[in-house]
Amino acid sequence: MAFFHIVVCGGLVPDPLQTLEPVSGPAGWSLKNESLLPSILDPWAANALYEADALAKANPGSKVWLASAAPKVKLQQVLMALAQKAPFELLPVDAPAGGFTDAVECALALAGAVQSIEGLDRSRLLLFGGWESASRGAGATLSVLGEKLGLTEQFQGVDKLTVDGDGSLEILERVEGGKHQVSVLSSPPAVLGWATGGRAEPPNNPQIGMANMRALMPSLQKARAAKLPGDGLTLKSVSLPRQKRNTQVVKDMPVEQIAVEIVEWIKKKP
Amino acid sequence: MELILLLAATDAEGNLGKPALGAATAAQALASALGGAKLVAGLFGARASQAAALLAGAGFEKALILESDALSQARYATDAAAGEALVKACGATLVVAPATSRIQRIIGGLAQRCGGKVDTHLTELTAEEGAPLATRWFYRQRMSGRLKRAQRPWFMTVEAGLYPPPAGSGSPAVEKVQAALPSTLTRVTGEKSPASGAQTIRPDADLLFVAGAGWCKKQADGRLHVPEAEKVILGFLEKTQSSLGGSKSVVDQSGEGTVLSFMSHLNQVGQTGSTPRHAKGLATCCHGEEPHTVGWRFVNERRAVNLNANCGWAQGKADVLYVADAFKVMERVNDLLGG
Amino acid sequence: MDADIVCVGFGPATGGFLTTLSRGLAKSDGSPAFENRISPGSPLQVVCYERSDDLGYGVSGVVSRARSLKASFPNGEFSQLPFYSPVTEEKVLYLLDPGKASRRPSLMRAADAILKRLPGAVTDGAFALPYVPPYLHKKDGMVFSLGQFNQWVGSQLMASGLVQLWPGTPVARALFEDGKVVGIRLADQGVDKEGRPAAGFLPGMDIRAGLTVVGDGPVGPIGRQLDMHFGMPPGHAAYEWALGMKVVVDLPADTSLKAGTVLHTMGYPEPEIFGFLYVYPGNVATGGIFVPSWFDNPARTSYRYLQHWMQHPALWKHLKGASLRSWGAKSLQESGLRGEPYLVGNGFARIGEGSGSTNVLTNSGVDEAWETGAQLAEGVLELLREKKTFTKTDLEQTYVRRRRQSWVYREGQMAEKARDGFQKGFVQGVAGMLISGLTGGFLGWPGRPLAPYERIPSLADFYRGRLTEEEIDEIRKNCQLTGQSLHDALMDRVGWPPVELDGHLLVSHQDALLVGGKVQATPGFADHVVVLKPQLCKVCDRRLCVDMCSGQALGVAEDGEIRFDREKCVHCGACLWNCAKLIDALTGRSNLDFGAGAGGLHSAEN
Repeated sequence: MAFFHIVVCGGLVPDPLQTLEPVSGPAGWSLKNESLLPSILDPWAANALYEADALAKANPGSKVWLASAAPKVKLQQVLMALAQKAPFELLPVDAPAGGFTDAVECALALAGAVQSIEGLDRSRLLLFGGWESASRGAGATLSVLGEKLGLTEQFQGVDKLTVDGDGSLEILERVEGGKHQVSVLSSPPAVLGWATGGRAEPPNNPQIGMANMRALMPSLQKARAAKLPGDGLTLKSVSLPRQKRNTQVVKDMPVEQIAVEIVEWIKKKP
Repeated sequence: MELILLLAATDAEGNLGKPALGAATAAQALASALGGAKLVAGLFGARASQAAALLAGAGFEKALILESDALSQARYATDAAAGEALVKACGATLVVAPATSRIQRIIGGLAQRCGGKVDTHLTELTAEEGAPLATRWFYRQRMSGRLKRAQRPWFMTVEAGLYPPPAGSGSPAVEKVQAALPSTLTRVTGEKSPASGAQTIRPDADLLFVAGAGWCKKQADGRLHVPEAEKVILGFLEKTQSSLGGSKSVVDQSGEGTVLSFMSHLNQVGQTGSTPRHAKGLATCCHGEEPHTVGWRFVNERRAVNLNANCGWAQGKADVLYVADAFKVMERVNDLLGG
Repeated sequence: MDADIVCVGFGPATGGFLTTLSRGLAKSDGSPAFENRISPGSPLQVVCYERSDDLGYGVSGVVSRARSLKASFPNGEFSQLPFYSPVTEEKVLYLLDPGKASRRPSLMRAADAILKRLPGAVTDGAFALPYVPPYLHKKDGMVFSLGQFNQWVGSQLMASGLVQLWPGTPVARALFEDGKVVGIRLADQGVDKEGRPAAGFLPGMDIRAGLTVVGDGPVGPIGRQLDMHFGMPPGHAAYEWALGMKVVVDLPADTSLKAGTVLHTMGYPEPEIFGFLYVYPGNVATGGIFVPSWFDNPARTSYRYLQHWMQHPALWKHLKGASLRSWGAKSLQESGLRGEPYLVGNGFARIGEGSGSTNVLTNSGVDEAWETGAQLAEGVLELLREKKTFTKTDLEQTYVRRRRQSWVYREGQMAEKARDGFQKGFVQGVAGMLISGLTGGFLGWPGRPLAPYERIPSLADFYRGRLTEEEIDEIRKNCQLTGQSLHDALMDRVGWPPVELDGHLLVSHQDALLVGGKVQATPGFADHVVVLKPQLCKVCDRRLCVDMCSGQALGVAEDGEIRFDREKCVHCGACLWNCAKLIDALTGRSNLDFGAGAGGLHSAEN
């Protein structure tokens, strides 16, 4: 079976359970206490990483890189949670990681990191990432990056990748109506933006962690810096949705009556 | 002066779907807010000419049509090339497109190819001081921002369900665009529906039915009633043809043995799921879960059935909260809805 | 797998240890100062395993004089933390009972009556002590969030590249060989709730190390395992505990509270319950109560009391209109020196709260924990330089010697008898603290601490004079039928007013869990709370574990057994010391085992 060179691109996002509040400062919009919000690898990108790990394991000779643009200190925090899960090499870009950064600028910063990989076999390249992020949520970065790298076989919302006996790849992409579009790609290189995928989060393996960390921290120290200044982009305002409804709480109403009310409500034309 | 291009793909029948028609109205609204930008449509597909008529009344000067058998399949290489040809054919400064899976697949790469910038999932297009102003969500719909851009071309995709289809008469003139579409290594072989057989996601339904993890938890008698829950939920979906959403907890339970067999991650609404748009939403057994806040953001009328009157996630989020056992209520609702 | 030093748990103690240690691990030219014992030439391998998903989760308002922290960071680097503020104002409030439900002994009632008659003494139902006792004051200190601090320390350590921190990795047990601790075993992964291998089974790996540093906190399973294995020093036992339950709130925009304000409260909602309110910058405050093990209420709880405490007029004037940002709970080991285990042995050392460093007289624990960690690091560096191994004798001569000579020990001695009076009553307790504090620990109010399980009275005894046994039986039966909490029903019956929920600050207990954060029950790990002998629970008439469970994760099943729901557990550890059934008198082991589990509360704001 042929090997793959899999580069997973993933941004960092605040732990989704944290309270997020936008604040405006001299450098533009950011999150309140952004530097101290616990971060995780974007959930969609994490799915991509686990898929990459499984694919690499199933195809000996494969290799996985993780390219991420984020402040160094955040990256190292996330590595703590991630580096025991799958072997990978890090391609760090020391850059802002917030949702208000520009997708194209971010993609171009990552392109530099991917292009710097020594020994990357382009003909076996699979560029992985999330189909969206939980911060910017644009679903554009990976596509821009692919285009910049000249990759014109691209898939978004991927839930499944199967390598067939002839080396072709069958790919399931999410399309409208809860369905998947099935495509066959005869060979890499390609871009795959993952949705949920089908892999459980791998367990923490201390041996993987220990081995990973020996290389990860030195490469993090050498992270290339990028500014992502948001040239030409003006965020006029950012606000939390304030709409609050006057909830009518219906207690002690017999089940029968509730059912009647609900049925009437369902039947009423919106 | 800005030149706005509505970029959309036609379906197998050569028609434009609701999201594309909504994007047409959004483009029209933007043109009018800008005080008269030029408005051009760029449609691509295996058959696309007839779709121009659907844009009647939206103020399009002309419709650029790019037709090719290669476009009968939704693939990046050919779709992006078609998009590039259409953008370049008219010299668009602003490109407005629907946020469909087909467009979302290409929009980033297309923007890069045309040397532009891109913003997606926009919820409003207007103008301020003569410049376009776009509104979009950040951080999984947790905050909303309004933004401007100096660079052109600016690619924008508009969420479905926010703008009505155009209404009026006077189809734009059709102008064919030719382009050499590249060869591609990708072949679309078909579509797959969820394996369970029951199609539970219906984006066009009036009602979104949200099932929470409570359906799979021990009930008042201390026992699980998952088969009963499945029967009640499927019965309701069948009778009402509503769409099924689930909280993260309920879809994550797969593998624990107490799972709703027809529920998958595709059904998930909320933080890491989708935020579908429906006229009504009915959340059941969702106490303590997210759908009220996030998954429901684009649901107009919201009701919940829940055992806890103090549910902080329904309070202020739902219009009506029925404090009752959802098993009993929904069974009775199914009876009333009849066979 | 081998390492040189393995640490269990990442809190302030391990933070202090690793910060101090890492500064000595590299030479001035950046090259390693010490070698790995297995592969000479490579640097010393130092790893730390932490059970929770990240280093900064958990709600944790702290006021501290921060003597040790300031010594470690003389340039005040941590003042950049968002919730940092120097202490600007400090008060001790004695809270009178605004209603009639608080159980106040007659002496206290008399004092209340006198205070009320003194003109100007009582404001908003509280008497502000004219001064803060010298042993308690924090006037040169600071308020901060321990979650933010831990995270910041962790990032400094990771950036040094000299130590590895691995959150999300619970440690199952210590490894013993010939009376030595030779490392640890991590928890099995890919198992079902009972711990049986399931999909993706990965047996817990052994990490062997020359030194195992145990800083897993008051209810840490490795610390407790060592206690059981080696026993406690003669006369030592960890009998005194408390559950701290806290909230972080947004204060109303027009609050008069200034950042750095510190309020200590006592006297209400029950005399045994102490409270605190610390004000952060940006109109944010953290507040909460401590419910101690010597509050002999067999249906004691924390959440309901927290709600009554917040509504006391002296606090409500600040909190009315506030909204909940975050919520959480934690056990405190309050025995201090009397709960001090063997600090070292061959191959291991104990630091932090689990080693008896928390001081109940000065109300301080974080700084002490950090200091013990720093002391161990200095000792370890000394041993590394002298190329010695980590034997009991060597660790005693380096780490323990430093600890015994430090303020942590000196103040620990002062605190040793300080709380004994509470064994007799609230008034005696407060008097004893004052006497101890003012005599430098020389004197105290006599009283012999009892283990929690020895002192939990029956409901009939506790409610004597207020409820008859028949009434209690009826309430209990009714609760079993309706599922209502016993403590709630009892409190309602004896006159505690119902809590009017406002959906902002006063929310239901379950909503506090949801609004204040979210519990993550990481799949693939076994349940970390285990009933050892289920039949004992069936005959238990106390079931305090259920009432004191901060997350309502423990409940009574139809068959009378205790059921655990990991999806609600905030890992506070209260069940451990609230179990009324002893199964091993020698080790003091109760019927509930509390292991190191993955996941737990991700607080919405730490």
